[in-house]
Amino acid sequence: MALTGRFVLLVALGVVPVVAAGAVGAPEAWLALVGWLVFVIGAGALDLSLAASPRRVALRRELPDRVRLGEPVTSVLSVENLGQRMLRATVRDGWEPSAGVAGPNRTPLRIPPFERRRMTLELTPWRRGDRRSDQVTIRSAGPLGLWPRQATLSAPGRVRVLPPFHSRVHLPSRLTRLRELDGRTPLLIRGQGTEFDSIREYVRGDDVRSIDWRATARHADPEVPGSTRLMVRTWRPERDRRIVIVTDTSRTAAARIADEPRLDTAFEASLLLAALASHAGDKVDFLAWDRRLRGRVHGASGPALLARMVDTMAGIEAELIEADWAAVPAQVRRITSRHALVVLLTAADSPGTARGLLSVLPQLTARHTVVVASVADPSLLDAARGRDDLEQVYAAAAAERGLLDGERVGAAVRRLGGLTVSAAPLELPPALADLYLELKATGRL
Amino acid sequence: MRALIDGSSANPATADASGPGTDLDVGGDASAPAVTPTVRAFLRRSRTWIVIAAVLVLGALIVMAIQGGARAPGAPLAADNPAPAGAKALVEVLRDHGVVVTEARSFDAALDAADGTATVLVYDEYAILDDRRLTELSEATDRLILVEPGFTALETLAPGVRFAGAASGPIDEVACDLGPAVRAGSLSDGQRLVTVDDEAADAGWQGCFRDGDFGFAVASGPTAGGAELTIVGLTSVFANETITEAGNAALAIGLTGASDELVWYLPGPGDADAADAPSLAELTPGWVSPVMVLAFVVVIVAGVWQGRRFGPLVVERLPVHVPAGETSRGRARLYARTSARTHAVDQLRIGAVVRIARVLRLPRSAGVDEVTDAAARATGRDGASVHRLLADDLPADDRALVDLAAGLAELEAAVQRSLDPRSAEPTDRDDPTGRRP
Repeated sequence: MALTGRFVLLVALGVVPVVAAGAVGAPEAWLALVGWLVFVIGAGALDLSLAASPRRVALRRELPDRVRLGEPVTSVLSVENLGQRMLRATVRDGWEPSAGVAGPNRTPLRIPPFERRRMTLELTPWRRGDRRSDQVTIRSAGPLGLWPRQATLSAPGRVRVLPPFHSRVHLPSRLTRLRELDGRTPLLIRGQGTEFDSIREYVRGDDVRSIDWRATARHADPEVPGSTRLMVRTWRPERDRRIVIVTDTSRTAAARIADEPRLDTAFEASLLLAALASHAGDKVDFLAWDRRLRGRVHGASGPALLARMVDTMAGIEAELIEADWAAVPAQVRRITSRHALVVLLTAADSPGTARGLLSVLPQLTARHTVVVASVADPSLLDAARGRDDLEQVYAAAAAERGLLDGERVGAAVRRLGGLTVSAAPLELPPALADLYLELKATGRL
Repeated sequence: MRALIDGSSANPATADASGPGTDLDVGGDASAPAVTPTVRAFLRRSRTWIVIAAVLVLGALIVMAIQGGARAPGAPLAADNPAPAGAKALVEVLRDHGVVVTEARSFDAALDAADGTATVLVYDEYAILDDRRLTELSEATDRLILVEPGFTALETLAPGVRFAGAASGPIDEVACDLGPAVRAGSLSDGQRLVTVDDEAADAGWQGCFRDGDFGFAVASGPTAGGAELTIVGLTSVFANETITEAGNAALAIGLTGASDELVWYLPGPGDADAADAPSLAELTPGWVSPVMVLAFVVVIVAGVWQGRRFGPLVVERLPVHVPAGETSRGRARLYARTSARTHAVDQLRIGAVVRIARVLRLPRSAGVDEVTDAAARATGRDGASVHRLLADDLPADDRALVDLAAGLAELEAAVQRSLDPRSAEPTDRDDPTGRRP
């Protein structure tokens, strides 16, 4: 049960009969007051008894399964009145605050008996992961609108909010560069990993060393009898390589750098790399790991790869536990036993936290090409420049120390045979993509 | 937010217009399961608490009923009040010694009991009695004791006696020949004083217990009707709490026990002369109080209207949040607290040397000396001073540390500038146009 503003107004209107009776005398005024209160309570009770039951209602949700973070989504709830009376309802759908309901979330509905009405809510979720609504609260007013009945009904609903993938703006330019790699003559890029593509006629500018003499001998020139056309071999970058992206979801991933958790930056970088690599014909596998496997995408390709990756990422949040790097080589081995590009997205910024990573790195580099990508803190660079007063100088010294630590870890990684990428949150995804393209161009995948 | 009308479907089975696979059919045609318990379920679930609350309320009512019947009326100086402010001690002592004490709560009862011979003690706390009744009372008895009299009482019965403030301490100067006062000898602290003017003194009034030149705590004299009137400035002479102090008890017993009968009269609300002044109820219209009650009810109802929650609170599961850079800030504060100047300047120097070496394209293995020489050559500075800046100087105090840090930053900037072709150009060219004459 609840009360309405109309009921409050009705009670307050009692001042009229009370004052009118007060003109006769004080006892009459008291009598009028008591009479009025009895009257309004009676009216309220009558209204309550005439209101339709808010429990005899069937609910049905229509929700899109997935939505990208930052994009609006329409939640449709159809309410069916199963009772005999007219249902004058105000409906509140119990979405989490981060589901971002637009407006006050109070929908008035008038539903005749055995009919159904649809209500729509505009949601703009502002957090990744599963946004839920567990219940729907219905307040059913009577014909007088004084004492409505209220009940909360269980009506679970869920929208999976996917990572935003802002870094997809970098994809077209990287794809252009990937296409440029195709069909290039082998002079600059020929290496172990390049594959023979085709034989075509020589044009000016081609490297003379790429002329294939046997093919030339086979191609007689129809216009000049007795002579042949010069043919050159072309190459394309290696294909069907395997890329394993390992995202660290331990406590270091929870750190918020430039108002974005490391984990989200890692997801952005993973998505850009996966999109690029799947276009380049490589196989991409994704692991989210701290002490246990938090998410895994294996054996997907093409458009399904990105869909499965964002779906897996959506529910993953960083946890306050230390990463167990010792088990990572085994996880990678379970995915592939062949040579692969292993990308470790973690925070390699201090010798203390990177010790576990460094101890297992030789196992990985012995078999694979390993890239350690970490998010650098741009605020450290800013702090290292402050020299105005004593406090700033100490802060600069501490920041300098942090940067040196990061460099030291990077040097250790490189000495163990890995490659490093370190950039600010917004620059890490394109930097990782560029490193991938470079590796591909030089055939080191 | 809008409500769409889904056709005019009377039959729920045909009103199903859902997309494939995207629906979450919560309840089908059956009604959705309610989370809110029904009234009956609520009562059943909270039966224990309801029983406990009922027992508590019942117990409280019983205790209130018992206490309300047995509790003494708590009026100050009441003859049956054993509280500190009451006067039961004195009354009981008097009764033990054979004095008939009659408690009077109304004027008529007091008049009846006085009967010409009894001593009457009047404590009119709220100055209820008017001059007519006071005169009537003084005429009805021979001996009248006024405790803490009001202004009207003094004006009416003892025109020459006036208020004179409070005593500065205990009074032990009796200063009169009134029997009880002489036997008492002294009074406790905090008495209210009165003065007796010459006219009254001529009429036979005398003051007792003088406090310097300020006045007397007790005054005694004849009234216009011929009765003997004693004025006691303060109730403390009679009250349970203070009667044992100084000579209070002797004075109280001496005054009240002078005759065989004593009327202990505390005027009640019924003694006010209702005909004289209009009451509050007569001044305000009859509807004011009911409207105030109605306003109170409206406030409560409005509170319930606004306070009723629209369904249960929804819990938001928040992810962990670790602000980055805390390590760095903590380390900075640690440096500052321990004044680790050398340590701090070492970090700055290592950073500067590494960056200068990178800018000047020196090998990674280059030592500090090589970097110093290269930097000195690039900037054209004195090698020794650059070496001091990059390696030797130890900051003695905080100022030196700040200067050294600024010097390092400045050197770095100078090295950067020295490699910038734009900064080197204008030095050997005087003609801004670049043409020779």
